[in-house]
Amino acid sequence: MLKSYDFQYDLDLAMQPAKGTLSFDETGRILSRIGDKTLLALPAKEIAEVSVIPGVGCGLLFARRDDDSEILLCRFTMSSMKAAGEFCKVVNFYAQTKQYVIPDQKEKPVCEKCGRPLVEGMSVCLFCYNKISVLKRALELLRPFAGKIIPAELFLALSSVMYLLVPLFSRILIDEYLRPMKGTFRQILLLAGAMLLARTVGELIFILSSRVFNEASIRYANHLRNLAYEKIQKLSLNSLSKRTPGDLIRRVMEDTTTVKNFISDGGRWAVEQIIIFGIVLVILLFTDFRLTLLVFLPVPVVCLVLSRFWRFIHIRYERQWRKNSKCQSILHDIIKGIRTVKSFGKEEMEIKKFSNATRELAQISSDNESVWACLFPTMTFFTGIGEFLVLYYGGNKILNGTLTFGVLVQFTMYITYIYAPLRWFVSFPRWLADALTGMVKIFEILDEEPDITSLPEPKNVPVAGRVSFENVSFGYKSYEPVLRDINLAIRPGEMIGIVGRSGAGKSTMINLLMRLYDPNRGRIIINGTDIRDMSPEHLHENIGVVFQDTFLFAGSIYDNIAYAKPGATIEEVIAAAKAANAHDFIMRTADGYNTIIGENGHSISGGERQRLAIARAIIKNPSILILDEATSSLDVETESVIQDSLSRIVRGRTTIAIAHRLSTLRSAHRLIVLDEGRIAEMGTHVELLRKKGIYYRLVMAQRQTSRIAENN
Amino acid sequence: METAGLAAAGMEMEAAGTAEAGTAAGATAANAPDKEASSSLAYAIDIGMLDLENAEFYVTPGGFTALKYAGKDYKRIALRRALPIGHPMEYISVADKDNKEIGMIRSLCDLSEKQYGIVVAELDNRYYSPLVYEVKSVKDKLGYVYLELVIGRDDRKYKKSCAVKDVNKNIRMLDDDRLAIFDVDGNRYIVPSLTGLDKKSLKRLEPYLF
Repeated sequence: MLKSYDFQYDLDLAMQPAKGTLSFDETGRILSRIGDKTLLALPAKEIAEVSVIPGVGCGLLFARRDDDSEILLCRFTMSSMKAAGEFCKVVNFYAQTKQYVIPDQKEKPVCEKCGRPLVEGMSVCLFCYNKISVLKRALELLRPFAGKIIPAELFLALSSVMYLLVPLFSRILIDEYLRPMKGTFRQILLLAGAMLLARTVGELIFILSSRVFNEASIRYANHLRNLAYEKIQKLSLNSLSKRTPGDLIRRVMEDTTTVKNFISDGGRWAVEQIIIFGIVLVILLFTDFRLTLLVFLPVPVVCLVLSRFWRFIHIRYERQWRKNSKCQSILHDIIKGIRTVKSFGKEEMEIKKFSNATRELAQISSDNESVWACLFPTMTFFTGIGEFLVLYYGGNKILNGTLTFGVLVQFTMYITYIYAPLRWFVSFPRWLADALTGMVKIFEILDEEPDITSLPEPKNVPVAGRVSFENVSFGYKSYEPVLRDINLAIRPGEMIGIVGRSGAGKSTMINLLMRLYDPNRGRIIINGTDIRDMSPEHLHENIGVVFQDTFLFAGSIYDNIAYAKPGATIEEVIAAAKAANAHDFIMRTADGYNTIIGENGHSISGGERQRLAIARAIIKNPSILILDEATSSLDVETESVIQDSLSRIVRGRTTIAIAHRLSTLRSAHRLIVLDEGRIAEMGTHVELLRKKGIYYRLVMAQRQTSRIAENN
Repeated sequence: METAGLAAAGMEMEAAGTAEAGTAAGATAANAPDKEASSSLAYAIDIGMLDLENAEFYVTPGGFTALKYAGKDYKRIALRRALPIGHPMEYISVADKDNKEIGMIRSLCDLSEKQYGIVVAELDNRYYSPLVYEVKSVKDKLGYVYLELVIGRDDRKYKKSCAVKDVNKNIRMLDDDRLAIFDVDGNRYIVPSLTGLDKKSLKRLEPYLF
C-alpha cells in the first residue's frame, strides 16, 4: 500500500457537491479522484508550487509547473479550506526539497459519539457534551465555597418549613376554634402569634440565607472570572486571534455572571422549591388523597401552557432586546463620530437613521406590552384551574359533611405552593441551558492549551548577539502564507530597516521575532539558541518594542513608563523619559510624572504618547529594540524630535525598524525590502538606490508625493 | 439557474431600494442632481472600463479564465463583483494573477453571448452561495445555532448541516425578503425568498429574523 497524504474536497469542477480526494503519494504523484474516476494525475516533480485561491464561500487549489503554466487541481467549500492549506504545505515542501515527508494527517475533528464534525474553536460536540460532567465540574469549583453554601441551603430549607406552618395553623384555627365556636380569646391569640412568629422567623432566616448565598456566589463568580482572565493572559496571540475581543470579554464578564446568577438564584430556588414541593405533596396526600389528585389533574395542561407561553414571550423579548441593541450601537457610532457627521453636514441623515431605529424599537416594545398584558392574565387563569376544581369538589364534600372547612382552606393555601414551583420548573430548563452554555464557554478557555509553549527547562541564554532567521515561512492562516523562506542574519548592534508595501510581511517578521507566533517552518536563532527553546518571558524581558498605535493605560505617566519594569527606581523612569525626549513635556504639566493620562492617553498629544511609549520600551534596557512604524503617525517636526531621541537610544543595540517614511531609515546599516513575503532586496540605502529595483521605486514614489505636497 | 436567480434578485433589490442595495443605489440617486459634478469627477478619475470590443475572454487548458486585451495575454484572471448584493451583474473588476486590476466591466449585458457565458461561469465559480430550499431543524446549542438545511445550486438539492455563531451578525436580512446565513467555516447560504419558504421552515427561522 502506497503511503499518501490525502485532501478530501467537496465540490466538483462544476461546483456541485462531490466527495473527491486529492492525494499526494510517495511515488511523487498527485492524483485527483471522485469516486473511482481519476480526474487528474500529475507528477509532483514538475510542480514548482501548489497554492490556494480563496473565493467567496469557496476556494480552489492549483499547481504552478516549472514552465510557469498553471493547472486547476480541485474546488472546495470553505469547510475544506484549512485542510487545503495543509496539503499545499506538504507538496510545497516536496517541491523545494524533493524529500517526501508527510505529517500526521489531521482529520477534521469529529465527535466520537455522534460523528458530527466539531465546530471550529470548540473541543466539545454541541450535541453530545455531557451536561452532568459540566455541572459536576462547576460544582467541584464550588467546593471552596461549600462552607457557606451548605449552611445557607439549610437556612433556606428551614425558612420554607416556617412558611408551610402557616396554612396548618390556619386549619387548626378554623376547625378547632372558629367553626365549633369553642375557642377562647387566649387560644386564638396564641395561634395568631404562632403564625406571626413562623412568618417572622421564616423571613429572618431567609434574609440570612440570601446574604450568605449572595456572598458565596459573588466570590465564586470572581474566582471563575480570575481563572478565565489568568488563562487569557497566558494564551498565545494565535489562540486569542481566533476569538474576537468581544467574545473574550463576554466569556470573562457575562458568562461568569450567568453562572453566578444560576447559582445565586437558580440553585438556591431549586433547593427551596423542591423542598416546598415535597413537603406540601406529603401533607396534601396525608390530608386528602382524592383532593390531592384533583390538584394535580390540570398540571400537564398548566406545564404545556407555561412552556408555550415562555417560549413565545422569550422570542418576542429577544427581538426587542436586539432592536434595543441596534439603537444603542447606532447611538454609540454617531456620538463617537460626531466630528465626522458634523463636518460632512450629515446631521439630518443621522437623525433620521436613529429615529427610524427608535421607532422600530417603540413599535416592538408596544406590541410586546400588549401581548404581555393579554397573555399574563390568561396564564394566571390556567395556573389557577386547580383551585377551582378543589373548591368545587371540596365544597361538595363540606356540604356532605366529609370534609371540614379548615382542611379546604389549608388545601387552597397549599395549592399556591404547588403551582408556584411549577411556574419555576417550566423556566428551569432554559435557565439551566444558559448556565451550561456559560460554563462550557468558560471551561473552553480554561482547557485551551497555549500553542506558544515553554520547555520544562528553557535555555534562557542572554538575548544578545547574532539574530538569524533560517528558512522561516509563516501564515496567519495556513493556506495564505505571509512570509516565505526568510533567511537573514543580523549582527549584534546592527540596525536593520524593513521596508515594503503594505501587507508584504514586515510586521509579521517582528511578530515572529517576539514569538507572538511560531513559524510554520524554519527557525529563529538568537545567540545560537532557537527562540522556541527560551521561555517567552525571558525573551520579552530583553526586547523593547514601540508600535505605531501606542496603547497607554489609564493611570499616571510614571506608571505607564514603569509598566515594562515594575520595580524601576525614580531615577530609571526619569532617565528613560529623558532618553525618549519626553521629560520636558512631562515637566511642563502641573503634576509632572504623577499626571494622570486618561484611557489610552487621550489627554496628551500623539507625539507625547509616542515618546512615553519609547520611554516604556527602553526602561528595561533591552538588547533588541523593535520600532514598528514608531513615528509614522506623527508630523515631520515631532518625528524629528523623536528620531533624535531614537538615534541616541539605538546606538549599540540590535535594532529592527519598520517605517513607511523611508527617509527615517537612512541611518540603518542595512535595509531589507520585502515583497510578497520574500526578501526581494538587501543592502544599504545607497546600494539599493543604485540597484534601481523595488526600493528605488518606493523612494522615487515618496519623493514625488512630497513634491506634490510641497507645491500644494 | 443560479446566475439568473442572482441577477433577478439583484434587479428586485434595485427596485425595492432596500438597505444594502440602498447604499449603492442610493449613492447613484444622491449624485443624480449633481450631474455636472459627477461627470467632472468621472472625467478627472478614469474608472478604467475595459474596451470590450478588444477584450477576449477564454479558458486555458489548465482550467482558468484568461483574457487577451490590449495586446497582452493575461493567463489567469480574477473576476470580482464590486456590488455583489445589489448589482451582481454590473461593475465587475477584472484583475491579473497578481491582483492588479486590468479594468472593469460596466455590465455583463455588454458582452457577446459566448463571452458572457465564460465570464458568468467564472463568477459562479468564485461566488459560491447555495440557495436554501428548506430548513429541516434549528437548534440552539451552547451559544451556537445548529441548522439542518436543504440547499442546492442549479436545482440540485442536498442536505447540509451547519453551525452559526453570533446570530445577530451571521443570520442577516439582505432585503425585505432575502436572507443570508454565514456558518462558522465561512460558507454562506442564501434564502432567496422568505415568503417562498414552506411554513415550517419559516417558523423555524423566525426567532432569528431581525
